[in-house]
Amino acid sequence: MNAPIIQILFLKDLFLSRRPLFAYFVAGLGSCVLAGIPQPTIAFIGFILVVTVAIASGIHLIGTLLLSESTDQTRLFVMSLPVSLLDYSLAKIAVVLTTYLIPWLAMFACSTIFAFVLPWAKPGSAVVLPALFFFLLASFMVQLVFAVVTESVGWTISVMVGGNVLLNVFLMMVFSDPEIAAVTKSDVLTWPPLILQILAVEIGVIAVSLLAVLLVQTRKRDLI
Amino acid sequence: MTATLELPTATKLAATLRGVSKSYRHFDLENIDIDLPCGTVTGLIGPNGAGKSTTMRILMGLVRPDSGTVSAFGQPVSSNQANAKSQIGYFCDDMRLYKSESIAWHMQFVRSLFPSWDDDYAAQLLDRFGLVAEQAVKGLSHGQRVKAMLLLVLARHPKLLILDEPTNGLDPVAKHEILIELMKVVEDENRTILYSSHNTQDVEQICDSIIFIDRGRVIAAQNKDDYLEEWRRIKLHVPEAWQPPAIPGLNLESSFRNLRVVSLNRFQEDIPAHLRSSGASIESVERMTLEEIFVSSVMRGREEAKETNE
Repeated sequence: MNAPIIQILFLKDLFLSRRPLFAYFVAGLGSCVLAGIPQPTIAFIGFILVVTVAIASGIHLIGTLLLSESTDQTRLFVMSLPVSLLDYSLAKIAVVLTTYLIPWLAMFACSTIFAFVLPWAKPGSAVVLPALFFFLLASFMVQLVFAVVTESVGWTISVMVGGNVLLNVFLMMVFSDPEIAAVTKSDVLTWPPLILQILAVEIGVIAVSLLAVLLVQTRKRDLI
Repeated sequence: MTATLELPTATKLAATLRGVSKSYRHFDLENIDIDLPCGTVTGLIGPNGAGKSTTMRILMGLVRPDSGTVSAFGQPVSSNQANAKSQIGYFCDDMRLYKSESIAWHMQFVRSLFPSWDDDYAAQLLDRFGLVAEQAVKGLSHGQRVKAMLLLVLARHPKLLILDEPTNGLDPVAKHEILIELMKVVEDENRTILYSSHNTQDVEQICDSIIFIDRGRVIAAQNKDDYLEEWRRIKLHVPEAWQPPAIPGLNLESSFRNLRVVSLNRFQEDIPAHLRSSGASIESVERMTLEEIFVSSVMRGREEAKETNE
C-alpha cells in the first residue's frame, strides 16, 4: 500500500466529482430547510426530497466514480500509471464513501439541529433520524457491494429498487410503533428499544458491507 | 511454437515473459516466451484478435496470467506492480482520458505521479503535435486524443515503452507526426520499445526486431533484417506429378496448371539449383516484403497447428 499514491487518486476523484458533490450538498440542505417549514405539505415534500437526494446521490456517485471508469475506459489510463490494484481499490472505496457521506452528514446534522432548535419542532422527533439516515447509508453500502462485485449498472439499480421498497417497509414499521410515535411528539428525547434494535442491525449491515467491499475489491486479480 | 529473439551474451533485459498463458472463454494465450533486450525496438505483429493486446496487458501487469512469469527490469511484475509501472509507459488504443478535463489537467495529474516528468519536453510535444493544453478532452479529435495520450506517456521518459496500436485509425498526417516522434524516441539507445500493430509498414519503419503472433501463439521472432534476408518467393514451372523436394522451410503457396509458387524461410544460394535438380525450371526468385512474410508465417503456423490437431 502506497499512501501518497492513494491520496493523489483520492483527490483526483474528489476533484472529478466536485460538481455533483456540490449539487447534492446544496440540494440536501435545501431539502432539510423545506422539511423544517411548519406547513405539513411543504415539510412532507422536504422529507421526501431528503430521502430522494440521499438515494440519488448514492446511485449517481457509484455510477460516475466506480462503474463508469470501466465503461468509459479511463480505468485503463489510471492503471497504466504506477498504481497497484490495492492502491486503486482503496482510493476508490474511500472517495465513493467520502462523497456520499458529505451530503449525507450535512442532511443528518441539519435535520437533527432543526429538531432541537426550531420552536415548532419536537426534540423527541429526532429519535427517528439516526434510524432513517443509517438505513439510507446501509442501503448505499449494499448497493456499493453489488457494484463492486458485479460491476453492473443493471444489478446496482436493481439493488437500489430493492432498497427503496424496504425503505417504505421501514418507515411503516417505525411510524406505526406506538412507543416511537409517542416519543416523536414529546419534548424529551428518549430511545425506544425498537429504534436501538434497528440501529444495531443497520450498523451491522454497514460494517459487513464495508468489509465485503474491501475484501472483494482488494482481491480482484484483474481490473481491466 | 514459442520463440525468443536471439540475444548477444550479457545483454540486459528490459522485460521478459516466460511460459505465459492466459485462458478466456473463446481465446487462449499459449506459453508465450518473449525477451525484450534493453535498447531494442521490437514490433509485435499479428492479425486482429491474435493476442497482442493481451500480451501487452500481461507485461504491463494489468492482466494477471494463469501461468508463467513476467518481469520488468529484473523485478517480477505481479508482486511489484506499481514499481514496475513507474518505468513503463503504456499506450493502448482502448485507453481514454477524462472527457470533462483538459490536457493540462491530465499533464498535472500524471506529473504528480512521476518525478521524472519533463515540463520542457511536454511543452515541446504540445507544440509539435499542435495541441492546446487548455482544451478539454471531449473536444479532441481521435488523432488529437492519441497525441495527447502519447504526450502523457513520453514526457515522463519511461525506460520501456509499450505501444499497443498507436497509429490505429489515424489519418496519414497524424500517423506521420506520431511515427516521426517515435523515431526520435528510438534514437535514445537506452529506451526499449514494444510496438504492436497489424500494419507491417509502420512496424518496418521503426522496429529492429519483430515477433509474429497468431491465435495466441508466437509463431516467429527474429531481427527484421534477418526476415527480409532469409525469406524468398520462388515461381517454378514444373513437370506433371512433380513433388516438392525436401528443403527445410519450403512451403507450397499456390499452384496453377504447371506453375507453382513456393516460399522459403531459410533461403540459401544453393536452393535454386536444388529445385532445378528436382525437374523444375525457375521463373523468378523474389525477396518478400514484411507483410508478405507475415501473411506467409501466419498461414504456415495455422497449417502446422491444424496438422498437429489432426
